Amino acid sequence: MPFFRNKRLLIFLIGFIVLVALIGYSLRDRENVTIAEQFINDTVGWVQNIVHVPVTFFTGIFTNIDDIKNTYSENQILREQLGQYKGLIYEVQELKEENKELRDALELTESDLLRDFRAIQATVISRSPERWLDEVTINRGKQHGVKENMVVRTAEGMVGKIQTVQQYTSKVQLLTGFDQFNRISAMISRDKGKDIFGMIEGFDNETGTLMFRIIEESDKDLKKGELVASSGMGGVFPAGIVIGKVKDVVPDQYGLTRTALVEPAANLYDINHVMVLDRDATELEAEEEEEE
Amino acid sequence: MKRIYILLFLFLFLILEGVAIKFLPPSILLGDQMFVPHWILIVLILVEMFFDRGQSYNAILYAFIFGLLIDIVYTGILGVYMFSYGIVIYIVHVSKRFLHGNFFVTFLFSIFGLVLCDLLITFIYSLVGVIHLSWEHYWLNRLLPTVFLNIIFFLLMYFLLVKRFIKWGSELNWD
Repeated sequence: MPFFRNKRLLIFLIGFIVLVALIGYSLRDRENVTIAEQFINDTVGWVQNIVHVPVTFFTGIFTNIDDIKNTYSENQILREQLGQYKGLIYEVQELKEENKELRDALELTESDLLRDFRAIQATVISRSPERWLDEVTINRGKQHGVKENMVVRTAEGMVGKIQTVQQYTSKVQLLTGFDQFNRISAMISRDKGKDIFGMIEGFDNETGTLMFRIIEESDKDLKKGELVASSGMGGVFPAGIVIGKVKDVVPDQYGLTRTALVEPAANLYDINHVMVLDRDATELEAEEEEEE
Repeated sequence: MKRIYILLFLFLFLILEGVAIKFLPPSILLGDQMFVPHWILIVLILVEMFFDRGQSYNAILYAFIFGLLIDIVYTGILGVYMFSYGIVIYIVHVSKRFLHGNFFVTFLFSIFGLVLCDLLITFIYSLVGVIHLSWEHYWLNRLLPTVFLNIIFFLLMYFLLVKRFIKWGSELNWD
């Protein structure tokens, strides 16, 4: 057979078939990554855990110098704010108590549940160099109670969700990598039940914003700077996590619905410590309580 | 023994690629430009040019292994980096027979390898529908900055590693 005498061509063809098979395999909706992948990820993650500490320290030096320059002026502002803060604490306490009493009176429990979650603290140990797929790796995994699809946030707001889980590390899909398969149900809070509901439908690379498609036609006068938060309706993410601020409002391509461009609240390029929010835990506990 | 050193080098860069983004000032990152470190590819090209002699296929083998590792650890879509790195190193392997291995030839190979590798990766990703992109956006905002930064890395590595690779390569041939 003259065709197979050409060894190079044969190897190339086999390589091509292997490539297609591998890509096809990994694009399937995989519930769990294979044990070999988990093992490699955990091993590399262990080394990353060690390496990222000196690197963060080293690269942090320059940021720290910048910070020190700004310290004085920031301190002045913060001091002024501190005065207002004391008044606020008192107010919040009062409101919390009042809220609780009112909730008890109305026997509202469900919406409470949507807001409750257990937070797992984690540190970002690496970020994928492939910028098309924005992923970061955190140093918490199955052994610490992390599961797929949990929401990940920093102090400022939502940053993404858990993509895959290994034993000791897990990968986070950042908001910038969200597409139509990773929708978040979100809302803009208004008084008197005029909340605006919609879906975050993906990230637009050209404007650097999330696209928030408004479902309801009721209230249309969106303003710039309004806060968009998760609504908890999707069943996966807890409610009340800030996603971002409205930057602009544009009609969609058919002119039927409108899309708000939302700038993420969290800085997605400088993430060090994150919280993984576990909603299942509180639901289970609540069920147990009900059984009792 | 020398092969283990090279594997350790490559593994070190695999780890460092994960924190590479921290070495850049945040003001650059907030812009449109995407910088992708292809440090392993650069080191592999140096290994191919200066460590491998004649008919040894070390670098191609390493390209497949570490390409697959990048796929597993950083992207989750297996085979893309493995294939792209493998092809690039194979082309360098074939064409180094016709050109003498000096600085400028290696420099040209690196630019060519980076462009081809990044094009292949982007092409495969857009083919399977993981990303949607406009090519004009791609040239300016991803390919140029990526090649530029990786070439700086190449210059650095060239002066740090090449002498070592040549020494190890010739020691290996005496064995």
